[in-house]
Amino acid sequence: MEFTILFLATAIVMLIAWRGQRPLALGLFGAVLIACVATYLHHATDTLKLSF
Amino acid sequence: MTQARAITLNTLSLYAVALVLAAAYAAQFILHELPCPLCLLQRILFAALAVGPILNIRFGPRPSHYAMSLLAAVAGAVASTRQVLLHIMPGDAGYGSALLGYHYYTWALLGFVAAIVLLAAILLFDRQFEEEKAVLPATGGAFAQTAVWLVIALTAANVMTTLLECGFGACADNPVVYELLKRAA
Repeated sequence: MEFTILFLATAIVMLIAWRGQRPLALGLFGAVLIACVATYLHHATDTLKLSF
Repeated sequence: MTQARAITLNTLSLYAVALVLAAAYAAQFILHELPCPLCLLQRILFAALAVGPILNIRFGPRPSHYAMSLLAAVAGAVASTRQVLLHIMPGDAGYGSALLGYHYYTWALLGFVAAIVLLAAILLFDRQFEEEKAVLPATGGAFAQTAVWLVIALTAANVMTTLLECGFGACADNPVVYELLKRAA
């Protein structure tokens, strides 16, 4: 579900960047990027089986 | 580099993002390979790359717009590097099929690294930021408008297909069926 929301949020940011106010687009983009990083950290829990 | 030329390059970058999102759909619908959670995150970050160029076309090139795309590209490179490392050990067949010898996440890593290099390269051209009084077409012309709406449409389509794939719960680690279609059947 979180990925659907992230895609939706990205599409909304694009629409605001194209039709809306620049500061709002910048702020929302920052929020989406932070949400992406949080989602990555939430899913990146498997230990990497590396030999170094 | 003039402002007009920079906007043309930004428009071309939007077509490149659209091509990546379309290629991901080709793998999903032609090869019937459903994207994993990390794959979806990489798709989202490819889409996020497009926000900077859209702002550049609408408001004129600014370093902050390029910085936004750079941040998205770095985050995408981190996500795709992790997926490469998850499958790097000998004997691991990798996730999904390979295209020209590389899996999609390896291509994604190359794409994000290329984006970082190209964004850094275009930032070298100061003249594009100095022509603030130049008259820009309000929406960049038909070529640019098509690019913007194409990327927005592909991102919006991903909202629907991701909802179909993952449903209203957490997305499966190795998805093989569309959750919402399975429930409907």
